[in-house]
Amino acid sequence: MIAIKGLRQGLLIVFSGPADEPWLTRLRELESKLDTNAGFFKGGTVAFDVREMALSDDDLQRSLALLKAHDVTLWAVVSQDAGTQMRVRGLGLSDTLAAPKPAQPTALLQPNGKGEIESPAQTPSPETKPPATTSVAPPHADEPVTLTEATDGLLAKRRVRSGQVLRHPGHIVVIGDVNPGAQLIAGGDIIVWGKLQGAAHAGALGDVRAVICALEMSPSLVKIADAALALRPNEQKKRNRAGKAEQAQLIDQQITFTPWDKNA
Amino acid sequence: MEGTVVTITSGKGGVGKTTTTANIGAALAMLGKKVIVIDGDIGLRNLDIVMGLENRIVYDVVDYLEGRCRLRQALIRDKRAPELYLLPTAQTRDKSAVSPEQMVQVCDELRAEADFMLIDSPAGIEQGFQNALAPANKVLVVTNPEVSSVRDADRVIGLVESKEKGPAHLVINRLVAARVKKQEMLSTQDIMDVLSTDIIGIVPEDESILSSTNRGMPVAFNGASPAASAFRDIARRLCGEDVPLVEPKSPSWWQKLFGRAE
Repeated sequence: MIAIKGLRQGLLIVFSGPADEPWLTRLRELESKLDTNAGFFKGGTVAFDVREMALSDDDLQRSLALLKAHDVTLWAVVSQDAGTQMRVRGLGLSDTLAAPKPAQPTALLQPNGKGEIESPAQTPSPETKPPATTSVAPPHADEPVTLTEATDGLLAKRRVRSGQVLRHPGHIVVIGDVNPGAQLIAGGDIIVWGKLQGAAHAGALGDVRAVICALEMSPSLVKIADAALALRPNEQKKRNRAGKAEQAQLIDQQITFTPWDKNA
Repeated sequence: MEGTVVTITSGKGGVGKTTTTANIGAALAMLGKKVIVIDGDIGLRNLDIVMGLENRIVYDVVDYLEGRCRLRQALIRDKRAPELYLLPTAQTRDKSAVSPEQMVQVCDELRAEADFMLIDSPAGIEQGFQNALAPANKVLVVTNPEVSSVRDADRVIGLVESKEKGPAHLVINRLVAARVKKQEMLSTQDIMDVLSTDIIGIVPEDESILSSTNRGMPVAFNGASPAASAFRDIARRLCGEDVPLVEPKSPSWWQKLFGRAE
């Protein structure tokens, strides 16, 4: 069983199930998840939580190779097995999720109750893990994924700037503008209380019912599940003449914008 | 004395980082401050040329870091101002010759001796930029009023914030008021809609910059051009003075008639 969670340092992939299940079986399950949800994972940074499982050097190498093939970076592997912890450090990875610096403004959201996203059964708490002997910063330290613990959503109370990526398996809420060149990738819905000028991908884990809402909808690209709609710069500008908040959703497999009407 | 390290950066190349560094450096020095301008662009140094000090380089910062000279020996005094110095960089090496920790070390050593250290960052967001950012107390991001340079400035401002060096201060360089009016160029408001950070100066497009750059004579030493006074205003703002921001205006018909801009 694989669960995907959002962490301040990126994504957390939790492997649970019988400890004697071969690693290859689990890796195959991960591979199919990576294949089906390539848009969600591509370019991302992940950590593994393998619970009490022991991984050999070979297991770790295979994991790295699989992730690399999907353009995903592994920065930490958390295991309760001391030998695995040692091997993880030997590869220059972190064996703990302990955050290098305090979280930026974020808050927890309510559980979404949707079937598509596996609800976090148990949040791994960094403080119960053995202390890090080597401190490895996540490779995309400038990616402002800012959660202290796994949650069902990500709230960013600031402007998301060009080159910044917010990625979360749950919902993403931004209170502020999303600038051109910025990217939001959510397993659930995306709400922007501000101007959306960057790219937004809702339902990135396959949820066709996901929506994208923005006070000012002028994105360069919107994606919902597997459907995509790219806007040319002049279309982007023209979109907001009415000055109304809008919602993007999938209707007959087409991304459709609907103005928010309080009377509707 | 505890000097301030100001890093001048932009992401995109060719927007006027080096010109801005040289001119703010000159303007601060003319205000009586002790200033050291530091070239952060290892392998593609330019600040010495723009300052007109190219042929006086004996040692550079890499020579110092590799133990071939003392730091003072690498400093070149600019005689046009009371206390202005250039710390040149190596032309024959690349970014990996210096680490962010070494840049911090160099600036810490100079801090006791200068009011301001201005670091001219290389373009890009790779190691050269990280080197220039590491010792910064203040970061100036230079942008031109055009979409791709604003996009890069946005990226850099995000990186500056994530390194906790923010908020970045924006220099809008080469603004042509007449073209903004005709909607051929982004306005200050257009830029602020995206970047929303503190503006420390708006420098109008100015023909005198090109010739002064080629002659190695920064206009802010004594020039009377619009750009020169904009750079002087930035220098005064860096000193903590409250100088109102003037948005360049396009010349009125009678100014055109008499052939001079305000």
